Amino acid sequence: MQKLVVIGAGMASGRMLEHLLDAAPDAFEVTLFNAEPRGNYNRIMLSPVLSGEKTFEEIVTHDDVWYAANSVITRFGESVTAIDTARKIVRSEKGETPYDKLVIATGSAPFIIPLPGHNLPGVVAYRDLEDTNAMIEASARPGAHAVIIGGGLLGLEAAAGLRLRGMEVTVLHISGHLMERQLDETAGYLLQKDLEKRGIRVITRANTKSIEGSGKVERVLLDDGTELKADIVCMAAGIRPAVALGHAAGLDMGRAIKVDAQMRTSDPDIFAVGECVEFAGNLFGLVAPLYDQAKVLAKTLLDEDDTFVVRELSTKLKVTGCDLFSAGDFAEGPTREDIVFRDPARGIYKRLVIEEDRLIGAVMYGDTADSNWFFGLIKDGTDVEEMRETLIFGPAFQGGGGAAADPLAAVAALPADAEICGCNGVCKGDILKAVEGGAHSLETVRAQTKASASCGTCAGLVEQVLAVSLGDSFEMPTAKPICACCDLTHEDVRVLIKTKELKSQPAVWQELGWKTPNGCHVCRPAVNFYLLADWPLEYRDDPQSRLVNERNHANIQKDGTYSVMPRMWGGMTTPDELIAIAEAARKYDAAVKVTGGQRIDLLGIKKEDLPAIWADLNDAGMVSGHAYTKGLRTVKTCVGSDWCRFGTQDSTGLGIKLEKRLWGSWTPHKVKLGVSGCPRNCAEATCKDVGIICVDSGYQVGVAGAAGMDVKETERLVDVASEEEAIEWTVAFVQLYREHAKYLDRPYKWVAKVGLDWVKDVLADESRRKSLVERFDLSQTVYQKDPWAERAAPAEARKFQPLADFTQEAAE
Amino acid sequence: MDDLLEAPTNTFIRIAEVWVPEGDRLVLATGTYDGLEGFGAASARATFAKGEGLPGKAWAEARPIVLRTLDDSTFHRAKAAAASGLTAAVAIPVFAEDVLLAILVVLFADAAHVGAIEVWEDSANSLVLSDGYYGTAEEFERVSKATTFGHGQGLPGGVWASETPILMRDLGASYGFLRSESAGKAGLKTGLGLPIPTPGDKIYVLTLLSAPGTPIAHRFEIWDARAERVGPEKKALRIDGLCEREGFLAPKENPPLDALSVTAWQGPIGRVLGSGLPHVQVGGAGLPAGYTQMVALPIHHENGLAYVVAWYL
Repeated sequence: MQKLVVIGAGMASGRMLEHLLDAAPDAFEVTLFNAEPRGNYNRIMLSPVLSGEKTFEEIVTHDDVWYAANSVITRFGESVTAIDTARKIVRSEKGETPYDKLVIATGSAPFIIPLPGHNLPGVVAYRDLEDTNAMIEASARPGAHAVIIGGGLLGLEAAAGLRLRGMEVTVLHISGHLMERQLDETAGYLLQKDLEKRGIRVITRANTKSIEGSGKVERVLLDDGTELKADIVCMAAGIRPAVALGHAAGLDMGRAIKVDAQMRTSDPDIFAVGECVEFAGNLFGLVAPLYDQAKVLAKTLLDEDDTFVVRELSTKLKVTGCDLFSAGDFAEGPTREDIVFRDPARGIYKRLVIEEDRLIGAVMYGDTADSNWFFGLIKDGTDVEEMRETLIFGPAFQGGGGAAADPLAAVAALPADAEICGCNGVCKGDILKAVEGGAHSLETVRAQTKASASCGTCAGLVEQVLAVSLGDSFEMPTAKPICACCDLTHEDVRVLIKTKELKSQPAVWQELGWKTPNGCHVCRPAVNFYLLADWPLEYRDDPQSRLVNERNHANIQKDGTYSVMPRMWGGMTTPDELIAIAEAARKYDAAVKVTGGQRIDLLGIKKEDLPAIWADLNDAGMVSGHAYTKGLRTVKTCVGSDWCRFGTQDSTGLGIKLEKRLWGSWTPHKVKLGVSGCPRNCAEATCKDVGIICVDSGYQVGVAGAAGMDVKETERLVDVASEEEAIEWTVAFVQLYREHAKYLDRPYKWVAKVGLDWVKDVLADESRRKSLVERFDLSQTVYQKDPWAERAAPAEARKFQPLADFTQEAAE
Repeated sequence: MDDLLEAPTNTFIRIAEVWVPEGDRLVLATGTYDGLEGFGAASARATFAKGEGLPGKAWAEARPIVLRTLDDSTFHRAKAAAASGLTAAVAIPVFAEDVLLAILVVLFADAAHVGAIEVWEDSANSLVLSDGYYGTAEEFERVSKATTFGHGQGLPGGVWASETPILMRDLGASYGFLRSESAGKAGLKTGLGLPIPTPGDKIYVLTLLSAPGTPIAHRFEIWDARAERVGPEKKALRIDGLCEREGFLAPKENPPLDALSVTAWQGPIGRVLGSGLPHVQVGGAGLPAGYTQMVALPIHHENGLAYVVAWYL
């Protein structure tokens, strides 16, 4: 009888032995080594053991009885230290064991990030029963804290298990969303929401700096200064094939032990199976291909023909109550088409990716009923052209037509206490009561509840609540949605972002039922603005959702060059600044133009020169004039009382103060200000978005002027006595505009919609006015930064070199 | 685990009854009496208005109710209960959104049995003990009263956060810090946690905690019937289970393609899928080998029947 030695009692070798012994129980004398002091168990089911939902006994695949019945000689707890291929023996702690055939199934080892403190007691990986028991032991202490480094499958299962054990758990994940290898942003968002519902804290984009403690782990520090208490730290940052034995034996190696399609290594009597192998450039981490390999290897050992082929994989996260599925490739691409279905009320998201009439990827969250069917379509490469329209609804709907997504789902999902009308504090429940009481039109609801009675922005939402309540008996007026990606208007989206506290793009796409995976060139810039305006601290500005000029921080000109315009506060400059501008113009061969906004524009700058000219102008103390943004542009002033004999107040000084307060802020459209020192209005303030006319008694603040496609005089907002009041009213007006206007509406258009009286009423309320100013200033702590200084740094500057292809990054 | 794999012994649960609304009263639909037919006869004669007796009280209050003693003041059938040696009871309302479908009443015998039935409810973003019957586990009862669970914490918190029934095997080591030690001392090792949806905003979680020697039941099963998991057809997948005779009943594959499946009206679980009502059965077809009684409790979410939890005696 031939001697078969197997190194490693993992899932792959266990399955291989089952196949082998089933087919030919007497073909080999089998000796099974395992470094762990136990036999085969279902390692991927350690998660429910950790959570207490299974016992270890339940996941043992082969017990002593099985080994005895199958005459397998077990050498558990005994590590193999070397393979002598010439003598065909393996060396272990207890001596030498000869083989005729050898199977290496050493699996993988967890990757331990070499952070300072990674060797402290209390830092564990998540690989075997010992790790699992260490975590269970840590969870038995009252108030214990766990930090999981890694938001992949294993890390999240560990987190859920430890939470169920009662620990305070934080997951640190370096990417922007969880399980980014298996899930897209929306599914990652839903998963995070689900885990947070379980009391697990998730920090994405988390850079761990160090693990600290005196004699044992006590805390984890992040780069941003965050300090997290930790009684145990679990590193779940990936695995590496455990291939030292194969390497030392001189086998052909890639990233792991190279095998052919029969699982044979470069030595004809040595085979490898499982996570320690590399086949056709692939490594393996999920169990399905390991089982395929096991089957092939059993046949190879019995001299039967079989061939291992890499197949599509699907993923199931073993967290009770989390239903997600992903398979195939779901990256975006120019030849790919997405089909998206969302049900915000039920937390369901499905996305199919089709290329050349074949389903190539699927991501599902909350509803995985049809996952096997979709997985089959992917694996089989089925032509789906005929069922394209109903594909997303699954097999039950093929041929019968599918249910359409409900455009009212986002509103139907709102709880009764969700605020619909912010002006008058009217909740969805109040409107429903009015509807029950007989109010069946917008007008009657408005009369009874005051919903939409002030600025009117929420009228569309009120109508949707009516439609949800009354069904077909209420005829919805047709409102123009933002774009084809959704059924909601800009105003609806703005209100819902606030009401539902949506703080990320994936949250908006999912909770508001977007029909595309992540918006388009029309809706993304708008949603990006709404999010940063409402949640300046929580939301991170997304450059990919910006128009090209904002992304490049310069206006592209008709010949492909760019213009560069430094800020001149209130239109004032100095000889040194002028010299720096002149030198820069000469150095970069720029045309020089004095603008209507009292600044100097340098035209004809090549893209690759932008960082250098910005750095030169920065060195001279100048910052970007933001001449390309939907944000504050200029504050045009006259010379005012310092120089002009008619000047009544220091208009230049006020203009400079306003510009220094407002610069850097993002707004729905561009914002231009003017301050004139007397009613002669030399600064042309009466056609600005905010125009202030100084008079003897103080300041006349006008708003909503225009001098572009439309020409319109400002309307008087308020007369105030002091400069401080003028600034306060101006800042509050700009913030009100930021919080309420539709993206790409200039202030005059917005005021026309909401009514100047409403604007006046809001701003006349001192507490609301001051709150608006506070919120503006809070936003400025994040956004009042010079983009030139940030992009003149070498790493950022490289993005402006010709090799960089911005067309590939464009959101539009 | 040992408590569920040992040779069958007397179970903590003795009787299960299903009461259904008929007009403005609850009437007995079915019951399993395990040799205590005297009590069954008393039940067959009884009906309850809303607020009346244990079933009526669970209907009126729309919450699970635990009776720690079965005396005349709270339990109409007290004499029959005393004659049958029944000592405690729990009534579990089954609602489909606002509609009461049935009341499942479970009665326990012999106070010397170790085991616990608890009702947890939300209060200030935690779960607190609302009601409970602990048999002889007095220390555990004291500790439980002083314990709260956050979202996702312990068996009650896990059920609350996941809105899913959970069968926990290793209660002693995991059941909340203070409780774990006393649970271990009391011998409570296995726990079944169930979300009990009711009209209104209140959250209720029912836990059945089992001890070696006096298990709550000899076999447990959790079936997932959500359309999100099984599709539009009325069917269910067995996602977890434990059996003294057959061992572990959970799927072994990942993804769990090997999960056992039943369709509506196929066997006793299929009957619950089809009717949406609790089902109790003595003998008859469809029970697993070696079992003579079963109780199956449906759990309805707003989108329909979501789970079926079954236990067998």
